[in-house]
Amino acid sequence: MSILEVKDLRKTFKANPVIKGISFDMAEGEILGILGPNGAGKTTTLQMLLGILTPTSGSIHIFDQDIATHKSEILESMNFSSTYVDLPWRLTVKENLTWSSWLYQIPDRKKRLLQIMELFRLEKIWKMPVAALSAGQKTRVNLARSMINFPRLLLLDEPTASLDPEVASYIREFFANQREKYNKSIILTSHNMAEVESLCDRVIILKDGLIYGNDTPANLAKKIEDSYLNLRITKNKTALTQLINSHRLTSTEEEGIITIPIKEKLLPLFLYEVTKKNIQYSEISIDKPTLEDYFMKVAKEKSL
Amino acid sequence: MKLYRIWGIFLRYYYNLLHSYDRLSDMFFWPFVDLLMWGLTSRYIANSGVIDNKIILALLGGIILWIFPWRGQYEITVNLLEDIWNRNLVNLFATPILFSEWVLTLMLVGIFKSTISFAFASLIAILLYATNIYTLGLSLLPWAGLLILFGWVFGLLICGIIMRYGTKIQTLAWIGINIISPFVGVYYSISTLPPWAQSISHWVPASYVFEAMRGLVMGNPVPPSNLLFPFVLCLFYFIIALLILRSSYNHILKRGLISVE
Repeated sequence: MSILEVKDLRKTFKANPVIKGISFDMAEGEILGILGPNGAGKTTTLQMLLGILTPTSGSIHIFDQDIATHKSEILESMNFSSTYVDLPWRLTVKENLTWSSWLYQIPDRKKRLLQIMELFRLEKIWKMPVAALSAGQKTRVNLARSMINFPRLLLLDEPTASLDPEVASYIREFFANQREKYNKSIILTSHNMAEVESLCDRVIILKDGLIYGNDTPANLAKKIEDSYLNLRITKNKTALTQLINSHRLTSTEEEGIITIPIKEKLLPLFLYEVTKKNIQYSEISIDKPTLEDYFMKVAKEKSL
Repeated sequence: MKLYRIWGIFLRYYYNLLHSYDRLSDMFFWPFVDLLMWGLTSRYIANSGVIDNKIILALLGGIILWIFPWRGQYEITVNLLEDIWNRNLVNLFATPILFSEWVLTLMLVGIFKSTISFAFASLIAILLYATNIYTLGLSLLPWAGLLILFGWVFGLLICGIIMRYGTKIQTLAWIGINIISPFVGVYYSISTLPPWAQSISHWVPASYVFEAMRGLVMGNPVPPSNLLFPFVLCLFYFIIALLILRSSYNHILKRGLISVE
């Protein structure tokens, strides 16, 4: 069942088109990543999904309701966490979560606040003013605030930025569990490709206000044909150079390791020839293309 | 509108007040200083036999009643600024709260703080000068209502301007209603103004309240119906100010709430 439908969404600031007509949808329980270089339109898109930026044209339907006319009802079951907003810095963590909780219909607020405090490990900073927290602690409080209303749809902008690796890993597991247990839907933007690859069912690549890719991380990575064959040669290096040239391949060498970008389907033949020509090696590894490779390719490509 | 959401926004400003010594002192310090200075000045003049106690009550009454429009305006504008400074506008509006709930809460915060400041100032007047503003009786209620409505007009108007043009003109929050104060006649009768200024005062609803207060103190009470025109006028200004604020809000939604700074 689709909980989000975006149709031909456009946003122009003065004469500058930032989002140039994007359409996508999202199923209940899905984790969707939105990736893109700086200025691609990720934040603009998230703002429009939250109803805090009016699109120039197009429509956004969330839970089968139009955000333009049912913003309040939609946001009752939705929440967000972002690095581009702060909580009132004079207020303590407890006060910030308390006033935020009153903006939603929550059956037992006290119980929910205690749950949130435990879930996000906020016990030690519970009575501290936000101004006194580290960047990582602020991120945790923001994430805690985003969960206060049991959201069906959660928008997370760079959720683990500024968190230390242990806490970042805990937060990733937390959101994965939330999806498993409660079928929560999550839209995530991040510059951490490994995080997106591990968490997201599907990824949308935005560039210059257009969608360049919309598929699973594995399928997007597959669009890059080249794998990387890494060899530490111990004998017959000249033969390898000849072999590379005969296949019209390129290579680079770093610290004794020769790296050859090669199409995946050519690999078996190439390795067979390496053996046949008695080229000997002490180390071999094959790096398959990743989402990051695809992202880098899109980022470098000329705009549509 | 949902009461629990209004309570949530109210709590946000209430907690902020508890932690902000500057905002707390605002509530008590300026009314106290004004009363001290004007009270001592009036007593000095009264001791010289030039004026009587009625004038003292009129002057102190003016100071105390001015708290309502001043705080009504100040609370709306400074609370908006606090949210802009804290980059908290998105936290507020990316939630189910309605624009009307936010505006209503700001107005309620204005009433809450005005009432505390008013109670404090009137107590100081009793303790320092044995001048009891409550002797003016029930008239105080409609006067306070009209004055706070007048304060909201300026609060909403300035809020709309700051939302649209950003904090580069935030000084308006502090100047605010004082721009119009010479035409209100807080401490003097409107008749002392030059004719051109009197014609402006005619369109300033608050001026009628201070005239009525002075009339009552001097033993020439004006009939309550005299407040009907300023009340309708104030309501008209209030609607205009609301429309301007709403238009500014729609304007920033086109630019993005994040862009407000």
